[in-house]
Amino acid sequence: MGKNIIDVDHVSIRFNLASQKVNNLKEYAIKLAKHELMFQEFLALKDVNLHVKPGEAWGLIGTNGSGKSTLLKTITGILKPYQGTVKVRGQIAPMIELGAGFDMDLTARENIFLNGAVLGHSNEFMEEHFEDIVEFAGLGKFLDSPIKNFSSGMKARLGFAVATMVDPEILICDEVLSVGDYQFKKKCNERMEEMLSGGTTLLYVSHNIDSVKKLCTHALWLDHGEVIMSGEAKEVCDAYSTRQEQIFRIERKEKEVKKAQKPGNKYDYLVVGAGLYGAVFAHEAYKAGKRCLVIDKRNHIGGNIYTENISKINVHKYGAHIFHTSKKPIWNYVNEFAGFNNYINAPVAVYKDELYNLPFNMNTFSKLWGVRTPEEVKKKIAEQIAELNITEPKNLEEQALSLVGRDVYEKLVKGYTEKQWGRDCRELPAFIIKRLPLRFTYDNNYFNDRYQGIPEGGYTKIIKQLLEGIDVKLETDYETYVKEHPDSFEKVLYTGPIDEYFKYSLGHLEYRTVRFETEELEMENYQGNAVVNYTDREVPYTRIIEHKHFEFGKQPTTIISREYSEEWKPGMEPYYPVNDEKNNELFGKYRELAEKEDKVIFGGRLGNYKYYNMDQVIEEALLMAERELKRKILENYAGSKPLEE
Amino acid sequence: MSTFRYRVNTFIQYKDLIKELVSRDLKLKYRRSFLGYVWSVLNPLLIMIVMTVVFSAMFKRNIENYPVYLLCGRMLFEFMTNSTNGAMRSVTGNASLLKKTYIPKYIFTLAKVTSCLLDFIFSLGALLIVMVATGATFHWQILLTPLVIVQLYIFCCGVGFLLAQLHVFFRDIQYIYKAVTTAWMYLTPIFYPLEQLPDIVQLLIKAGNPMYYYVAQFRDMVLYGRLPGPRIFWGGWVFAFVMLFIGVWSFKKNKDKFILYI
Repeated sequence: MGKNIIDVDHVSIRFNLASQKVNNLKEYAIKLAKHELMFQEFLALKDVNLHVKPGEAWGLIGTNGSGKSTLLKTITGILKPYQGTVKVRGQIAPMIELGAGFDMDLTARENIFLNGAVLGHSNEFMEEHFEDIVEFAGLGKFLDSPIKNFSSGMKARLGFAVATMVDPEILICDEVLSVGDYQFKKKCNERMEEMLSGGTTLLYVSHNIDSVKKLCTHALWLDHGEVIMSGEAKEVCDAYSTRQEQIFRIERKEKEVKKAQKPGNKYDYLVVGAGLYGAVFAHEAYKAGKRCLVIDKRNHIGGNIYTENISKINVHKYGAHIFHTSKKPIWNYVNEFAGFNNYINAPVAVYKDELYNLPFNMNTFSKLWGVRTPEEVKKKIAEQIAELNITEPKNLEEQALSLVGRDVYEKLVKGYTEKQWGRDCRELPAFIIKRLPLRFTYDNNYFNDRYQGIPEGGYTKIIKQLLEGIDVKLETDYETYVKEHPDSFEKVLYTGPIDEYFKYSLGHLEYRTVRFETEELEMENYQGNAVVNYTDREVPYTRIIEHKHFEFGKQPTTIISREYSEEWKPGMEPYYPVNDEKNNELFGKYRELAEKEDKVIFGGRLGNYKYYNMDQVIEEALLMAERELKRKILENYAGSKPLEE
Repeated sequence: MSTFRYRVNTFIQYKDLIKELVSRDLKLKYRRSFLGYVWSVLNPLLIMIVMTVVFSAMFKRNIENYPVYLLCGRMLFEFMTNSTNGAMRSVTGNASLLKKTYIPKYIFTLAKVTSCLLDFIFSLGALLIVMVATGATFHWQILLTPLVIVQLYIFCCGVGFLLAQLHVFFRDIQYIYKAVTTAWMYLTPIFYPLEQLPDIVQLLIKAGNPMYYYVAQFRDMVLYGRLPGPRIFWGGWVFAFVMLFIGVWSFKKNKDKFILYI
C-alpha cells in the first residue's frame, strides 16, 4: 500500500441533480416546499477503487458519462469524494482541458505566464522555461497576438507545451489531444512516451482504444460510475471493445426496427387475435424489423390469458392459467417479460363432505382408505380392479374403473367427468380417458414440469410488454377490417377459429366450453386454495377458482369464479377443441383449404384446432416466427441468462 | 499546525497566480483604449466635476472644499462597490477553470479585490490633482491614509468572500446586492454632510455603517488634517476583521460544494 502513488479507496461522488438547477431563490423556495431538494441525487462514481504504483500508465475507458473525467477530477482535487478517500503522493500536472484558464484577450506570451501560474508555477520558473515552451508550441511570430485569434489546434499546442514543460510525477490527461494536426499529435505522443520512460505516472482518458493500448500498461473500465474491469491494459481494452461492438450492433438493430415502424408504411403482418400466440409472433416480427398490426374483436388484449385487476386482485377472466414448462428456453423467454412467483398448483377435490388432494397421490389414497404405504395402495387398487373383471371397456366408466378401481372412480372421476361432458359416463366413449395417472408419493404438485409459476402482476402485463411499440386495434373484426383496408398489409397471421375464416363452408368444428360466475365476497379467504374441484354430480359447477391465492394475495376481499361446463353451440366462446374422429377429419379438410392461402398463416389453439398449454403456444409461435422471419430465436434463450442481440 | 503550514505553502505556491490575475485584470481593463491607465485618474475626475456641478448648489455653504470632500467619499465607496461586485462573480466567473484544474478558490476572490485596490490607488492621482487645483493644504496626516486603505481592503475581502460563496448558490444575490449598494451609498455621507440628516439616522449611521468609519477617517487625514478619533479608528479595524472572519468562515464552509453548482 505504501508504495502506491495514488490510492483511491471506495470513492463515491454524489451530485445533487435537483439543486444543480436551482439558481435562484424562487426556485429554491418552490423546491423546498415540494420537498424536492434532496431527492434527486446522482452518484457519478460508485465505490471506485484504484491503486497506482509509480511509473505505471493507466488508461481510463468507458462511454460518455461513465465517470472517467469525474474520477480524474477527484484525483486532481477538484472534486471532493462524498464517501471514501483519495490519497495522492506526488505533484500532479492536470491536463483535463488544454489551456483551461487561457484568457482569450491576452496574448500568447501573457497566457503562458497566466497558465503557468494556474498550474502553480512561479514566475521565475516560467521565465526559465519560456523559450522551450515557445519552441515546442511552434508559435513563432504569433507570440504577441491575442489568442482569441488562434485556431483550436494552436491553442491546444500551447496548452500542451505549458502543461508538460516539467516532468511531473503524475500526468493526468483527459482526451485533450483530439485536436491538433498529425505532426503535433506525434510530437505530443513522443513527449508523453519520453515522460513515461522518465518515470512519470500517467492517468490517461481516451476514446481511442488503440492509443490506450499503446501508451498504457494498465486500464480501468468504468460504466455508469462503476468499475467493470481493471487490470492489464490489453485485456481490459479487448473486453471493452467487444462489449462496445455488441452494444453498437444492438443499437443499430433497434434503430432499424424503429425505422420500419414508420406510420404510413404498409404493414408486413396483420395479426388477427391479440392472444399469447399472436403477441409472441408480433413481438418477434417487430424485433426483426417488420411492421405489424394486431387486431382483436374483444375489447382487451391477451385473449384467454387475459387477467383483469379487480379490487387489487388479478382475476383470470377466462379460467385459471398456471404457467408450467419443462423447456428452459421457453422459461427464459417468458421471464424476460415478467417475474414469476413460486406458485405450485396443488388442487383439492371436494366430494360431498369429504376432501381429497389432487392429483391422485398417497395423500389421496391415505384419506380414502386409511392406508400408509405405496404397497398397500397398489394392493388395494389391484383388488378393486380385479373385482370388476373388465376385459374390454365399452365406455368411459368401464375404462376408468379398469384403470383406478371403484373408490377413486366414484368419488373423484365420475361426477366431475359427467359434469364436464354433460352426459352419463356410460354414454361417453372410452377413448376420452386413455390413462389416469396415479402417483405413489406424497406429492401434491399437480404438474410434473421443471418450471412453474404465476407472473407477478398478471398475464395481461406480459402481453402488454410483448406488444410494446406495435399497433393494436381492439374491437376490430377481421372481416370488416379487411373489407375497409384491403391493401394495408402483406400477410395475415390468423389465430381465430379456422372454420370461421372459411365462413363455416364445410361445417362447424365443435368445442367444449365453460361458463364462469364470478363474484366478489366480503371475506378474506373463501376456500384456502386457488383451485377446488367439486366431484359429485349434485353440485352444478365443476370447480371454484379463488384468484387471490395464485399470487398469495392479502387483500381484504376475495374474488371467486364458479366454473360450469356447458354444451357448446355455434356462436359461443370456444374453449377446448373436441379432437374426436369427426372433428379431426373436418379440421383436416379446413387445413387443406388453408394450404392454398399462401398469404395467410394459421396458428394458435383455434387456428390449429388443438389444445395447447401456454408454453406450447409460445413455442409454436416462436417456431412459426423462426420459419416466417428466417432467423434463429429460440437458441438465443438456451443459456441460463439470455442475452438479447 | 501542519494544515496551517500547508495552507501557507499553497498560498506561496499560488502567489504568482494572484499577480498574474491582477495584472490580467488591469491589462484588459484599458487594452485598446488610447489613454490606457490615464483613465483610472481621468474617470473619477470627470465624474467628480459632474457631481460637483450638480451638488455644490445644495451643500456649498456647509462644506469647505466640496470637490475634495466629494472625491474622498466617492473614491472609497467606488472601490468598495467595484471590489465586492467583482469578488461576488469571481468564483462563478472562473467556473470553467475551477472545473478543470485544482486551484484554491479564494485566489480568485482575493485577486479581484486586489486588482480593484490597485485601480483605486492609481485613481488617487485624481485626488492629488483636485487638491492642487483647489489649493488645498497638504497635512502630514495624509501619510497615514494607507492605514485606512488597509482597513477597507480587509473589509472588502470579507464582503467579497461572503458574496462570492452566496453567488454560487443563489445567482439572485447580484440583483439584491445592487439595491443594497444603492441604499448604502445614500446612507453614507459622500456628497452631503452627515449633520444634515435627522439625529436618529445620524446615530444609526455612526453606529452601524462601516463605510462611514472609513470615509470619515480618510477625510480627517486628507481634508481636515487631523488624526481620526479613536472610536472610528478602532471601529474601522473591528468592522474589517469581523467582516473578514464572517466572509472567510462562510467561504470555507461551502467551498467544497462550489464545484457542484458552477
